[in-house]
Amino acid sequence: MVDREGRIVEANDAARVLLPGPAGDDRASEDLPDWLADAHRRMVGGPGGTHVNALYGTIGERLFEAHPTPSSDGDVVWWLIDDTDRRLAEASLRSEQERAAILSEVSSTLLSSMNVAHCTEATARLAAHHLADAAVLVSPAQGRRFPLTHARAGGPVTQAVRTVDPATVPGLVEALQGFPPAPTQWINPDDIPAWAIPLGFAGQVGSVIVTQLPGHSEPNGALILLRAGTGRAFTEGEEAFTRQFAARAGAALSAARLYSEQARVTATLMRDLLPPDLGGVHGVEYAGRYRAAQDDQRIGGDFYDVHPGADPTRESLVVLGDVAGKGLDAAVLTGKIRNSLHALLPLAHDHEYVLNLLNAALLTSHHTRFATLVLASARRQAVRVRLRLTSAGHPPPLVVRADGRVEESRTSGDLVGAMPTVSARTEETDLAPGETCLLYTDGITEARGGPLGRELYGIERLKRDLTGCAGMPAEAMVERVHMLAAQWLGRGRHDDMAVVAIGAPKSGAPTVVNGDTRPRNTHQRQRRNP
Amino acid sequence: MTDSGDTAVTAGLRDRLWQAVLDGDAYTTTDVLRQSLDAGLDKETLLLGLVAPVQEQVGLAWAANRITVAQEHAATAANERAVTALIPAASARRRQRGRVTVACVDGEWHAFPARLVAEVLQLHGWQVDYLGPQIPVAHLIDHLHRTGADAVLLSSSIPARLPTAHAVITACQAAGMPVMAGGRAFGPDGRYARACGADRWAADARGAAAALEAGLRAPGPAAARQAVDDLPHLADQEYTMVVGARSRLVEQTLTDLEKDAPAMQLYTDVQRHRTAEDFAFIVDFLATALYVDDTDLFTGFVTWTADVLEARSVSARCLPPGLDLIARQLRDFPRATALLREGAAAVAARPRPGPGETAPGPGGVA
Amino acid sequence: MTTPAPEFGLVVTLMPNVLIVEVTGDLDHSTRDRLVRTVVTHLTPGTVVRRLRLDFERLTWIDSTGLSALLMVHRHARALGVGLRLDSRPCFLDRLLDLTGTSAYLTAPVEAVDGVSGSEAG
Repeated sequence: MVDREGRIVEANDAARVLLPGPAGDDRASEDLPDWLADAHRRMVGGPGGTHVNALYGTIGERLFEAHPTPSSDGDVVWWLIDDTDRRLAEASLRSEQERAAILSEVSSTLLSSMNVAHCTEATARLAAHHLADAAVLVSPAQGRRFPLTHARAGGPVTQAVRTVDPATVPGLVEALQGFPPAPTQWINPDDIPAWAIPLGFAGQVGSVIVTQLPGHSEPNGALILLRAGTGRAFTEGEEAFTRQFAARAGAALSAARLYSEQARVTATLMRDLLPPDLGGVHGVEYAGRYRAAQDDQRIGGDFYDVHPGADPTRESLVVLGDVAGKGLDAAVLTGKIRNSLHALLPLAHDHEYVLNLLNAALLTSHHTRFATLVLASARRQAVRVRLRLTSAGHPPPLVVRADGRVEESRTSGDLVGAMPTVSARTEETDLAPGETCLLYTDGITEARGGPLGRELYGIERLKRDLTGCAGMPAEAMVERVHMLAAQWLGRGRHDDMAVVAIGAPKSGAPTVVNGDTRPRNTHQRQRRNP
Repeated sequence: MTDSGDTAVTAGLRDRLWQAVLDGDAYTTTDVLRQSLDAGLDKETLLLGLVAPVQEQVGLAWAANRITVAQEHAATAANERAVTALIPAASARRRQRGRVTVACVDGEWHAFPARLVAEVLQLHGWQVDYLGPQIPVAHLIDHLHRTGADAVLLSSSIPARLPTAHAVITACQAAGMPVMAGGRAFGPDGRYARACGADRWAADARGAAAALEAGLRAPGPAAARQAVDDLPHLADQEYTMVVGARSRLVEQTLTDLEKDAPAMQLYTDVQRHRTAEDFAFIVDFLATALYVDDTDLFTGFVTWTADVLEARSVSARCLPPGLDLIARQLRDFPRATALLREGAAAVAARPRPGPGETAPGPGGVA
Repeated sequence: MTTPAPEFGLVVTLMPNVLIVEVTGDLDHSTRDRLVRTVVTHLTPGTVVRRLRLDFERLTWIDSTGLSALLMVHRHARALGVGLRLDSRPCFLDRLLDLTGTSAYLTAPVEAVDGVSGSEAG
């Protein structure tokens, strides 16, 4: 109970504990906390019956809600209710929500990228922003060197690979081992080596923790979090939050590592299955293009190769073929066929013999998966190109003459890989300058679509469209045929489609321009050395 | 891409290149370019002041029926080959600026503009992965994850591929990659690039280089979104329905036209097929105009089609009734019928261009 | 032209020594295994069947994987001394067999194993 002058005139035991002072009940208003003294003055000084709502304030470290009850003699009874726990609960709920929002941001940011460098950069940046004043992400060692990512809150993120001794940071060696799980460690700021402090970090390091980035039991890196001397130390709640952050970052990083590793393996295995880049060889132009049945694949059941002759007087061997089936299974078989044919090159003067040897190599009791292919041997002779064409169960090559006539080659033969022996008839022809021989797979002619939806593109339509292509360079004709087929298809499903053009150059030297006319393409790095 | 400020490029040089390219002659094309370099022309001016304008001229000449499709392809191939032969692979060059990926929208055939952008950026010191035409979205994303590019430059010249371009843009951004769009498909002022949520649009190769140098921010987690978030009008399903009904629309329109126009009954199979193709393209553009909700895109295409038809001495008279027949089949779709009405009106109101004055088309009919 | 192809289906009729399989729809990547499985299930070692007739009256399309299924069926039948006949071949099937040189091979008469070939009942 407080009188008009603000003196405490009466207090219960709890209040006495709360507002300790000289013995006795009469105490000066200085003993009241300022916020309560103010409210009291307002209440007694105001016009009669001034109503004061409940108000809040701190006494010592705790928070109180104060309710006044005026009495008739001018004294006021202040009821103080300790509100600290409820407020703490509310604050922690709020920060819980903030933390959940942060973790969700961390997850979406990190999971959007499967690139290790990007994930590492984002982890360091987010850690510096949300958890500390600065962060250093130590990635798994590359030999004796460690990729280090430094980030400051609001500052740039820098990445460098450096030779450092992880043992100079207590707990870092354990954290970097990946297994067993290492607990988060508080570290004496004086123990932090210079390499673990981001450039431009202002002031003294005040507090440091090291936490593991958990992965799939293999080393996945560790995070060093630093706060400036004047900043707050890490609380237990923050340490728990750091663990949650590290769990998410670690999961994203190890997923990115796994993805990179698999992508690398796939790329290695795929390299030999991708179609090669073609260009000019010994005065003959070659161009090829491939589109896989599944638009998310780069390989499939069609294949082609050009094996240059040992010198310009020798024939080069062109192969274009189609394995029954699609996707990876078919692609693996194309690899086998391409390798076998490479080995059979010395016998390429006899196409039928080569086909029989290939047939024998492919025959197996497990399946009847066969291949159809065309062999074309090409040699420049003066301005013309001499061709020997042999079809093994494959749609016949088309020759686009200079005047626009399109001739279907009369070669024919059996498919390889399913029957005990095969036979084939070779046809010879010449290309005059500007003329082109086109090899293609049935993915082109059996493209279904057209303006009305379900029609076959068909060899007749292909021949008609090719009459408009007389005189085109090989590269352009191949592109043209793919484009016609793609337009015919529209959005329709399709089979693997491969096209190779063999062209007699219209003019110019019988050697290629600048030694290499092959297009650059990061997806087709492969060069097959004959 | 044209930059007339390149005074070092003489008209004579341009004519010689034009002739070589027109003959589809990669050897002479290479010679002309090599001589220009020997005479002191820098590579960027060569690409943007000489090669690019000549390439653009090729497209104009085709639209005006002065050259055939075969010549158009041959010319592009000659240009591309010459550029490959003259500009050495980037491996030897210093790269301090960062790494970018240049790609075409899947289904894109006009890859040459993207190629020029790739070459120019390399000259500006960027490490460029040029993925070429016909790159499926999945490959592009896989490439981005593996290489960790700083940005993606996406080229498209066919507006009909805009819905695909949109999907590519959102996929790249969801992978944390900023996207800069360029090429004719995105509209003269890049308005469709903005509609599709691209982070930046560049008018040409130099603009792309300048924008990259200024820096592109990586998109935040909020970049993961669906098409309808950018284009709320898609909720009316008109685009989806028109795409699904494409073949039926074309077939019915042809049948109805033959009933109305007896002359069409005398068409050969080839003529009938060409007409079907023309209407298939029109339906494609109608769908795209519905997708980006833009009338100009559709009226621009149909008037251009009319011009191209007439450049080839084919009457464009069946266009307005054809548009009307499509509209009748789509009478429950207010946005589509409005577009078709505007299209027919635009064809009717179009000034007759003289031969050779045909405006550059939005691409597509090739 | 826009009518969808009929659903793939096989109708098996077993006569005293003839097995007839009628094929409806597209014989391709997605359906080839069903044909091979069906034949393998009905033709087991010691079978009394002497002749296998595949009826293609209602075949709508065949691709290279479909042809490889025919080659597999042929190989299986041969191993058991069963003759193979391809009946009511649509022209696209004939074209494919001619192009790939498999026509004669697939339809060659089986060397008389036990003299019952041609004795098929009604």
